[in-house]
Amino acid sequence: MRRAEAVVAGLLLLGAGVMLRQALKLPIGWTETGPGSGFFPFWLSVGVLLSGAVILVQSLRQLTAQEGAGADVPFLERRSVKPLLAVLLPIVGIVALIDYLGIYLGGFLYLAGYMRFVGRFRWPAILLVSTSIPLVLFFIFERWFLLPMPKGVLLETLLYGGR
Amino acid sequence: MSVFGDLFYGLSVAATPQNLLVAVVGLVLGTVIGVLPGLGGTNGVALLLPLTFKLSPTAAIILLSSVYWGAVYGGAITSILFNIPGEPWSVATTFDGHPLAKQGKAGLALTAAFTSSFIGALVSIILFTFFAPPLAELALKFGPPENFAVLLMAFATFTGLGGANPWKTLFMTFLGLLLSTVGFDVVSGMPRMHFGLASLQSGINFVVIAIGLFGLGEIFLTVEEGLRIEGVKARISFRDIWETWSLFPRYVWSIVRGTILGFWIGVLPGTGATPASFMAYGLAKQFSRHPERFGKGEVEGVVAPETAAHAAGIGALLPMVTLGIPGSPTAAVMLAGFFIWGLNPGPLLFKEQREFVWGLIGSMYLANVIGVMLVLTLVPAFASINRIPFAILAPLIVVLSSIGAYAANNQVLDLWIMLGAGVAGYVFKKLGYPLAPLVVALVLGDMTEQAMRQALIMGHGSPAIFFTRPISAAFMAASLVLFLLPLIRLIWTKLRPKRPEAVPVEVA
Repeated sequence: MRRAEAVVAGLLLLGAGVMLRQALKLPIGWTETGPGSGFFPFWLSVGVLLSGAVILVQSLRQLTAQEGAGADVPFLERRSVKPLLAVLLPIVGIVALIDYLGIYLGGFLYLAGYMRFVGRFRWPAILLVSTSIPLVLFFIFERWFLLPMPKGVLLETLLYGGR
Repeated sequence: MSVFGDLFYGLSVAATPQNLLVAVVGLVLGTVIGVLPGLGGTNGVALLLPLTFKLSPTAAIILLSSVYWGAVYGGAITSILFNIPGEPWSVATTFDGHPLAKQGKAGLALTAAFTSSFIGALVSIILFTFFAPPLAELALKFGPPENFAVLLMAFATFTGLGGANPWKTLFMTFLGLLLSTVGFDVVSGMPRMHFGLASLQSGINFVVIAIGLFGLGEIFLTVEEGLRIEGVKARISFRDIWETWSLFPRYVWSIVRGTILGFWIGVLPGTGATPASFMAYGLAKQFSRHPERFGKGEVEGVVAPETAAHAAGIGALLPMVTLGIPGSPTAAVMLAGFFIWGLNPGPLLFKEQREFVWGLIGSMYLANVIGVMLVLTLVPAFASINRIPFAILAPLIVVLSSIGAYAANNQVLDLWIMLGAGVAGYVFKKLGYPLAPLVVALVLGDMTEQAMRQALIMGHGSPAIFFTRPISAAFMAASLVLFLLPLIRLIWTKLRPKRPEAVPVEVA
């Protein structure tokens, strides 16, 4: 946990540095229309960097002070890794392929896969749930509330004939 | 016009069939959201936000606020029956609620929770009704320096009273404000900070971040902990209700304390229902004649946190409606809705959007009366929702989150931002970085920058303008004290001779 604390603080500082660079491309001082557009981002980046630096120092101190004490809990238990990845990886894959799958087909695959491999449901239950939920969502969003979602190549062709 | 005239007008707006229907739908949805672990009130409100595009602003705010009240009631159900807090603010309810349920007094515990929640809400709404108009009147006199000073005080409250590591709170506040500068300059309208990405020029959407942090982050945490549900069955009979209500006169002081504490904590931005419920529990225990009974099934241990949690939920809307400053992350999501519905949050709402403001206030009265009746009668139905296997719930919430995030702006980049925010939310929560300041700062960023720059222009570049105007100076002084509060506390504990701590109350 303590090492994770320091690593995260370091990463956050890095991100803050990137934001600071963006801010420095803008006028950060006084212009003829008052404070420049970079004024606020610049000082905020400085604030992020300073507070982040304090957090990093705090975490490093803790890391060195109790090194070898061995009482630290790990940031992530080994047995938690698999269930976490089982939730995260499929959705990352679906978002990466969203232009092809769309949210409805993607949602169906995600639900079906998760129910099969994590929930160990039987196929009839899987098919019932994983098809009905995207269908209901489709009617709510596309038809009822007219909010267009990414539908993917297949569904787009089916609905609107590949226009 | 008098407050009473406005209030009757508001009640008549809220009582139209359409608005009543919206309130009931919101309450049922909210209770379901409150019952389901891994789906919280903040995220629930964020997910429903796209569906409000088609409603009138008044119906939309009634829907979202009803979801919030429903979630407060629903959170208590799982806490008591399953020992799983459906919401962070109902953690304190599990301490005595679940032991009571195990002793076969589930009906009593549930009735006590709903009733005290209802009383806390009702008294807070009355406070709200009378505090809001004068506060809005006062806020109308604010210029940019005062606006900035008030916003600064909101951020200072997080640091001073948030309870987390003050440096992490400061960090998250700065980060939220910084992320709000991405996109375009609010004053000149020029694009900036977009890293050359066209999709980023419209800015980072607040709703997307909230869904990621609170929705996905919560799912990741729940998955990691592994969810086991062992429930106690419950049905509330009329005898339960009668017996519980006859006990209530004993808890008057706990209820009064819980309400005042909850309302006040709710009004302060940066805090919310969660710390309010813990503090009320701690106070009830300290004042009790039988503190040893707490944790083993003391009814007062259910009454106190529930009263405070609901009172805080109402209180959090007071600064949102009058000043445009949300008192909690959930209120921040609602505030994001104001912009979407084409309303400008702030004191002018009371003048220009009478139907909206008083309709909301009127609906608070009606929705809470309906809500308490709904949960008292439908507890078995709501409790059975928890039988939905988590292997269906987890992917369903992820899919719903993706839809909600995409609907905010119709761009795929937002899905990536949501995923990033989800992972970040998970890591932040594990390492004790508070999420509320980030979310509130992100939603208030544009307002803060505008107020600051306009004030500096008024003062010809000198920050002295913040300290020479009396109202602004008072807020600046209060902010300074709040920012320094952690330091003052540190010195205080170092100077004071060591004594055994009084009952420590953890403020999450």
